[in-house]
Amino acid sequence: MSKAPFVDRRRFMMVTGGLAVATLGSRSALAQGRIRVDPNSFQPIPIAIPNFVSGGPADGDAGAGVTQVITNNLKRSGLFAPIDQAAFIERNINFDAMPNFQNWKTINAQALVTGRIARQGDGRLKAEFRLWDVTSGQPLAGQQYFTAPEYWRRIAHIISDQIYERMTGEKGYFDSRVVFVDESGAAERRVKRLAIMDQDGANVHYLTKGSDLVLTPRFSPSSQEITYMEFGQGDPRVYLYNIETGQREIVGNFPGMSFSPRFSPDGQRIIMSLQQGGNSNLFVMDLRSKSTTRLTDTPAIDTSPSYSPDGSQICFESDRGGRPQIYVMSANGGPAQRISFAKDDVNASYSTPVWSPRGDYIAFTRQGGGQFAIGLIKPDGSDERILTSGFHNEGPTFAPNGRVLMFFRDPGGNAGPSLYTIDVSGRNELRVPTPGYASDPAWSPLLS
Amino acid sequence: MKVDRTLIASITLHVLVLGWGLISFAARSFEVPEESLPVDIITTDQLAKMTAGIKNGEKDKPKPLVEKVAEAKPIDEAVGKVTEKEITTSTAPQPPPKPVEKPVEKKPDPPKQETKPKEAEKKPDPAKVDPIAEALKSEDAKKPKPKPTPQEAKAAPPQPPKPKQERVFDQSKIAQLLDKRDPTRQSLTGAALNSNAALGLHTGNSQAIVATWKGAFVAAVRRCFTFPYNGQDADQFEVDLDINLNQDGTVAGQPAIVGVRGPSRSVGNAMAESARRAVEQCQAYAFLPKAQYDTWKYIPMTFGLKDLL
Repeated sequence: MSKAPFVDRRRFMMVTGGLAVATLGSRSALAQGRIRVDPNSFQPIPIAIPNFVSGGPADGDAGAGVTQVITNNLKRSGLFAPIDQAAFIERNINFDAMPNFQNWKTINAQALVTGRIARQGDGRLKAEFRLWDVTSGQPLAGQQYFTAPEYWRRIAHIISDQIYERMTGEKGYFDSRVVFVDESGAAERRVKRLAIMDQDGANVHYLTKGSDLVLTPRFSPSSQEITYMEFGQGDPRVYLYNIETGQREIVGNFPGMSFSPRFSPDGQRIIMSLQQGGNSNLFVMDLRSKSTTRLTDTPAIDTSPSYSPDGSQICFESDRGGRPQIYVMSANGGPAQRISFAKDDVNASYSTPVWSPRGDYIAFTRQGGGQFAIGLIKPDGSDERILTSGFHNEGPTFAPNGRVLMFFRDPGGNAGPSLYTIDVSGRNELRVPTPGYASDPAWSPLLS
Repeated sequence: MKVDRTLIASITLHVLVLGWGLISFAARSFEVPEESLPVDIITTDQLAKMTAGIKNGEKDKPKPLVEKVAEAKPIDEAVGKVTEKEITTSTAPQPPPKPVEKPVEKKPDPPKQETKPKEAEKKPDPAKVDPIAEALKSEDAKKPKPKPTPQEAKAAPPQPPKPKQERVFDQSKIAQLLDKRDPTRQSLTGAALNSNAALGLHTGNSQAIVATWKGAFVAAVRRCFTFPYNGQDADQFEVDLDINLNQDGTVAGQPAIVGVRGPSRSVGNAMAESARRAVEQCQAYAFLPKAQYDTWKYIPMTFGLKDLL
């Protein structure tokens, strides 16, 4: 007798509890009339980056230098608006104390970066930084790094990447390098050397002496190697160059010209074009076994192959349809599907396709109407967009995070080409400083 | 029997509590959606209307020319009758002459001013010298007061310090000063009204924006919401934020991130933090009507990235 009512009560409790939950649920459902807010426009994040504190008088320049590199990186990304230091209310930062956030709110900073650089007893450089949310006063990120003093720039790039990732939710691309063809001398006797630099144009090193013509350098995704084409004594050949050791070797031993090489995503293979008579076809060579596989066999010029980031597909340029167009096919060969159809210009041709590391887009050079344009297209051929257009733009390469493209632009006349970057949205076109003329850039993966 | 009693008691109690909960929660929940709908409509309309208003304003720029004329005439009407025109015209050397001669005749014809703006402007040039000179002569002889006023239109305050005025009659001076200020204000407002009346009414749609506190609130938060995202999938990102506000318009506690949607979790989270920062950075929302505190003490919001590209 006494158990039955207890059970009933329990059941009743469950029912009433369920009803209560249902009531709350209905409340939240009814409250779905949410106020919607979208940004007015594309606006960069205001961020304050006071000079890193120096540990001692000997480190004086390092702090300012690191700060300058970080500021420059974030500003050039177009996603941040570093606030002019002249506007700072607080100049002398105590790295070990909580910042006075009101001073940074006053100048409308959303984020604050504080840091300290000090030389250790063992000669190494110790760099620390903290990223603060000015509004809430909460720390968002903080790290410390040790390195040899001459690598202070790299520290700055790594810190830039940390800030970028924490604020935008996406991987950065500052700790990366670019290999390109440095051009000097008169137009008719242009000397072309292979060169490498940080993505911001600093630390330029020359890899070749300029005695032979070099073209289309490409970074290995997994090692410090570059593959490129060089006009040597005989036919142009594809070479492999180790940046750290300076060693180089010819890729394969083919009759005729080999050109337009590119690494596979795992770095184990090189895909390239081999000349066969008046045609060229795509081949892939395994760097370990040296075995070569033919991917295309057409009476046309197939060139500029590029792997999708998962390695399952290849996009390339082919004139099998008349004009050079972009095709996509399986990484093992087989039928290829044309994806480039210029709706507004039937005479347009497409070249230098390169797959984004994100996999979502393929960048290309489009020629038509007397203009060379850099654009993007989805791998299925939809959503084609032109990012920039002009007399001569060519050779796009993606930043490691797939959000920025670098390409070269030749103004024509006696002047030579220069490197430029542009966001995949078409915004923020910037010239990349180089010591001389520069072309054929290739962005490395993130170094760290 | 005893068991039954307790059962009944518990049942009645639960029913009462549940009923109360249903009524109270339901009542509150109904309030929220009522005003939430107009927000979307208003925002879209606002943009179109605002731009339309701006365009109209630019097109009608010639009207500023009318403003000068308008200033002179209304001054004549309002002030001329009450007091001497010299004082009123002190704001600008050109207009004063006209009011003296034309006020009586053209008062009834305000529309003519619009039709003859250019003529009116041209006329004042030649007429400037004569009317001013005449007015000055005649009025100077009568009263020393006008002199200080014509020198500086907006220098109403500096006038009182002058010794001459003080020596005469304090009361009369005060009255005149007051008269001067009034006409200048009227003339300015009159001109502004005239110029805006044709154009401004269209831009007046801004009232619709501010009309509801939600429109103002959205505009305020949007000012601080900066989340730069380059991807073509920007419009797929959405963040739900629940905000509690104090009566003074400050944010109570931290806005609660209750939902993040989008192709990338890390980007969505970063966007959610950015939205929270925006809400906190742009407080206090003191403009919210305190009388309607119940309607905005809890605001569910959704942040998106539409139209970012």
